[in-house]
Amino acid sequence: MQRNTGRIVSRNPDRETVTSNASAPLTAGAPWIVMKFGGTSVATLPRWQNIRELVASRRAEGARVLVVVSALTGITDALKQMCAQEDKGKRIEAAKAITQRHYDLLDHMQLAVPDALGARLAELAKLAEEGPAALGELAWAALVQAHGELMSSALGAAFLSHSGLPTQWVDARECLAAVALPNQNERTKLLSAMVEAKPDPALNERLAKLGEVFITQGFIARESQGRTVLLGRGGSDTSASYFGALLKAQRVEIWTDVAGMFTANPRQVPGARLLQKLDYEEAQEIASTGAKVLHPRCLSPLREPRVPMLIKDTNRPELEGTVIGPEVREHAPSVKAISARKGLTLVSMESVGMWQQVGFLADVFAQFKQHGLSVDLISSAETNVTVSLDPTENLLDSDAVAALASDLAKVCRVKVIAPCAAITMVGRGMRSMLHTLSGVLAEFGQLRVHLISQSSNNLNLTFVVDESVVDELIPRLHEMLIAAGALRTDDSALFGPSWQSLYGSREAVVVGDAWWRMQCRDQLLALGAKATPRYVYHLPTVRQQARELKALTSVDRLHYAVKANTHPAILRALAEEGFGFECVSPGELKAVMAVVPESAPLLFTPNFAPREDYVWALTTRATVSLDSLYPLEHWGDVFRGREIVLRVDLGRGLGHHEKVRTGGSGSKFGLPVEQIDTFLRLADTHGVTVRGLHAHLGSGILDDKHWGEVYGQLASLAERIGSVAFLDIGGGLGVPSHPGESRLDIAALEEVLRKVKSAYPHYKLWMEPGRYLVADAGVLVTRVTQQKGKGSWRYLGVDTGMNSLIRPALYDAWHEIVNLTRLDEPATALYQVVGPICESGDVIGSDRRLPEAKEGDVMLIAQAGAYGKVMSSPYNLRDEAEEIIIGV
Amino acid sequence: MTNPIQPRLTQVFRFVRCSYADGVAELVYAFDQGEELIERVRFPAAPAVAAKRKHAFEAALKLLHFVAGVSYYKAGVPPKIELANGPLDDATADLLESLYLHGLAEFAYRNSLDLRGRIAFPRSGQPSGKVEAETLHLPARTLVPIGGGKDSLVAVEAIKQIGGEATAVWVGNSPLIAACAERTGLPTLNIQRELAPGLFELNRLGAWNGHIPVTAVNSAILAVAAILYGYDSIAFANERSASAATLEYEGQQVNHQWSKGYAFEQLLGNWLHTHVAADLNYCSLLRPYSELAITRAFAKLTPYFDVFSSCNRNFKILGPKPADRWCGQCPKCHFVFLALAPFLSKPRLLTIFGRNLLDDETQAAGFDALLEYHNHKPFECVGEGAEARAAMYTLSQRSEWQEDALVARFRSEILPQLDITQLALEPWLKASRVHRVPARLQPALAAIG
Repeated sequence: MQRNTGRIVSRNPDRETVTSNASAPLTAGAPWIVMKFGGTSVATLPRWQNIRELVASRRAEGARVLVVVSALTGITDALKQMCAQEDKGKRIEAAKAITQRHYDLLDHMQLAVPDALGARLAELAKLAEEGPAALGELAWAALVQAHGELMSSALGAAFLSHSGLPTQWVDARECLAAVALPNQNERTKLLSAMVEAKPDPALNERLAKLGEVFITQGFIARESQGRTVLLGRGGSDTSASYFGALLKAQRVEIWTDVAGMFTANPRQVPGARLLQKLDYEEAQEIASTGAKVLHPRCLSPLREPRVPMLIKDTNRPELEGTVIGPEVREHAPSVKAISARKGLTLVSMESVGMWQQVGFLADVFAQFKQHGLSVDLISSAETNVTVSLDPTENLLDSDAVAALASDLAKVCRVKVIAPCAAITMVGRGMRSMLHTLSGVLAEFGQLRVHLISQSSNNLNLTFVVDESVVDELIPRLHEMLIAAGALRTDDSALFGPSWQSLYGSREAVVVGDAWWRMQCRDQLLALGAKATPRYVYHLPTVRQQARELKALTSVDRLHYAVKANTHPAILRALAEEGFGFECVSPGELKAVMAVVPESAPLLFTPNFAPREDYVWALTTRATVSLDSLYPLEHWGDVFRGREIVLRVDLGRGLGHHEKVRTGGSGSKFGLPVEQIDTFLRLADTHGVTVRGLHAHLGSGILDDKHWGEVYGQLASLAERIGSVAFLDIGGGLGVPSHPGESRLDIAALEEVLRKVKSAYPHYKLWMEPGRYLVADAGVLVTRVTQQKGKGSWRYLGVDTGMNSLIRPALYDAWHEIVNLTRLDEPATALYQVVGPICESGDVIGSDRRLPEAKEGDVMLIAQAGAYGKVMSSPYNLRDEAEEIIIGV
Repeated sequence: MTNPIQPRLTQVFRFVRCSYADGVAELVYAFDQGEELIERVRFPAAPAVAAKRKHAFEAALKLLHFVAGVSYYKAGVPPKIELANGPLDDATADLLESLYLHGLAEFAYRNSLDLRGRIAFPRSGQPSGKVEAETLHLPARTLVPIGGGKDSLVAVEAIKQIGGEATAVWVGNSPLIAACAERTGLPTLNIQRELAPGLFELNRLGAWNGHIPVTAVNSAILAVAAILYGYDSIAFANERSASAATLEYEGQQVNHQWSKGYAFEQLLGNWLHTHVAADLNYCSLLRPYSELAITRAFAKLTPYFDVFSSCNRNFKILGPKPADRWCGQCPKCHFVFLALAPFLSKPRLLTIFGRNLLDDETQAAGFDALLEYHNHKPFECVGEGAEARAAMYTLSQRSEWQEDALVARFRSEILPQLDITQLALEPWLKASRVHRVPARLQPALAAIG
């Protein structure tokens, strides 16, 4: 045998096109590669051509290849329906339709019906004709369903052989023997059988004599009485593993529609990263706790013979995929994935002093068994034991829980808690990572956590929470795990690209397209040489962003949230682009009115403003918004006869940091929904008309669906208030900062908004973007002052810090930092970039890879156009950064 | 477009005209000398009106004009009503005056108005004779309005069970109702109602606003549809407790769901027999049943669990999550949760709602209102307080519910003040004999009970 270390050679064989005819014949001891293809991969001619190329390339590696196939997509379901059909005529009809599917594919392949397939089709017709009577219901059903794979493999053998790759058809039932297990009934014996697969040199030898490329069936095996049995859910992948173990293969390849396992479910977290290396236990844990790409049972056959598994995308064979193998070497501990399992029911049992009694716990668990409920997670305290139940049919649609609870209630207090979801973080050595999880744990601190479990195998950490919070929580936790360095996406050996960048439609942020990098670099260097620190704003970028948003045709009016940047040139440029202006203080209103034309609409949206602010604002042309009962309760006369906007709190907040969340009870913004009726009564009393509804949930949001939800919720609230004419869904349009993050998809946003608008055409739609318009347009230019080494840490000092740009200290915001003087030099140093302020928090960027810097180098801090200068302070009495406009 | 009218100061509400052509009914109204308010009702794939049904169609259309006018009338509630086409016979005027007075009772209460003596439709003085309208030999099939909630689905399944021919019909474009209608597997009919755009303008100008008897409007639309397409019956799914008043205000009964009540069913059903067609039956299939009897029937209809919603919030955009169908805050959510709980396994119920409303202390006030504890019955289409108390009592005796915050609170705080003999569930599950279900559909009643 060849080496079988579980390592996949790094060269990429998928790029090569080789035909097996050209290769030298294989020796008897040549290694095996098992390749499994699912139903959609075997359903069309192009897919089979693809399979042929892949198989040939594996053969060219010097390996024997065993191909394991599923039935053509849809055929297993059709066979199941045929089994459920009592009418013979309809069964025969169904068998004919199934036969036709295979004929159609053969037609495309321009192949005659091969004998092997002909025999299968005839047998299927006979089974349809005879019905279950002779064999018995279950054995007959198993045999009927086995035909899906028997037919697809026969068809595949013909195609591969015909296209120059001589392929032997192997009956899986000759190789896989199902074992009898205790507690097995006839149904599980026949329809979800198990095989004990140990390396079998005799089988290896027998097949090696027959040829080099083989094809067989997934999903089926044979039991001791010779009857055909099925392997149940995940059966084809499991077959591949059984064969991998029997042949002690060099590897098992699972070819599917996605490149492997990801750090989270990509449907929930588009930024989830491909996991390139996992050990069996981790992969099994991830598969068990949510990932759908593999059935967890298909890994155990491979563990003992140490056969690695490789998951690959059939459509994108060039992608690395996920390798699952023995634990090879210690990596720095990292969380590998976060997943959620929904639909759990918890049973919490409370009793004082009983748990220590001998046999008490056994009696309690006996109740679960008696009611047919199987326990998954368990946690216990001195007085409480809480367990989780998976959402089985018995749980949902029988009175099992009611009966269980009433039996348990005789010995303890019972509480049934549902619907819950288990959020699991998986990674080897989880306990050693706890210190990095403080932010994540704090997030759980705001929720109802019903149960925490951590098993002794140290592979996972599970929190059970209310199911309703999960969809929003998972993406946030995923991001926090990366930010906290718990999910070490910086380790490129373990973590591949994001799902978004592999499969998403959005364009990812491309390095090199920023205005300051090429176009204006010299100008910036000159500005930096003259004096620093300086903010430099690039007006064409402001205009470009403005025009992007103007493409949102569903939006009737855009207001620039001026708090992001009040530079007069920017205000003027946006007025020219037709924007209105949203101001939060009299100062902002005055600054805006001083530079924009009379025609530009103004909004006054203060929070906890004093009475005189409203009095003054009502003397201007600004539309005034209120977000609490107090002003109408106490200063009703101020607003008499006025039209106002009501800012509501829809009860949840979103955003990239706790301090930029502006919705939810923990936030001081907005009127809670349940106070709206009271507000309206007050408004009526004072003759105040609510003309608009406004909600704003936070900033830095990159998920387009979010605005659709806010818009829809506002609209349904507005329906209760006759006077409303417009809805303002705020801003918060995210600007990606980390490399690899995707831009907000404006076209997708437009689609989301358009959908809501068509349901509520009678409301005008307003938005208030701020940061989106100006963040990328501004940079902070500074110069290197000095350096310091401290242990392994290297500090790079620049001449301004949190006095000019407080976002990193306040929000943990990440700003790209470059050495503009040495932009083209290799980034060999790892710096903590710090400012001159006497605060330990004065760090602009940590662990930045930069070229070796020298005193006087011009450094650039990107994305500083929003909330930069406006939030600066005279702290330490350092000179303030001057603002310069370029590209007018 | 500016309307110079101050809605609340208008003097006359005018029924200007109504017409029908090519599947579109136009209903025209105006205040004083203001702009015409034109509502359009669109009947899809409408056949030509058969000659022998022409008279009936005209009569039904006229009624629709009068009934749908309530949405506009309420914007100003002027002292005078004018009809362009002359005065009404007593039966018609009685029907409409009842509808406007009782159907707008909640609206009046909320806006502190008194409509008594204010609503007068011009009468010809012609007494309502005992004449029957012609028998049209309408096809033996039923229009079943779908509302997206449990009730209409129970009605649908009952009719399906007796092999009755039926069409699932709904007015408007709610994606939730469309999803439910599709799930029934019945043929569907989706009628569109376009409110006059001028009504939104009036609202902006400070019109009176509030609840209108929308079931009456839908009933009148379906009466037109029954004649147009040919159906001998319209089977609503209004239950027994819809007839109960929500509260009494200055001597007037206020019932949020008056047009779902038995009084209206009788008025309209009889009027259709005398003015439209002797063989057009208007009834509610669920009239003999309590909410609890209906929720018990619904608890067996698992295939609808992930599409239906009785929530009062108007979900125009559907999502896959329970929270996209159930707000969890409104009285309807509270009631349906409570009423289903005795009949479903707890985990199943909680998957429907996506959360446990009875283990959420912040919902205490809402459930108190249902139980008529501390508060009057909420203005929603929800069951009687006694039914809610019976359901809550049942849960309070079940181990899997006992420890939930609001059930525990009920046990310790509310239950001691109640008479346990009045809390049994079983009496609520018995059907009453009061209903107007025609003979052909009566076997369906047994299917529900």
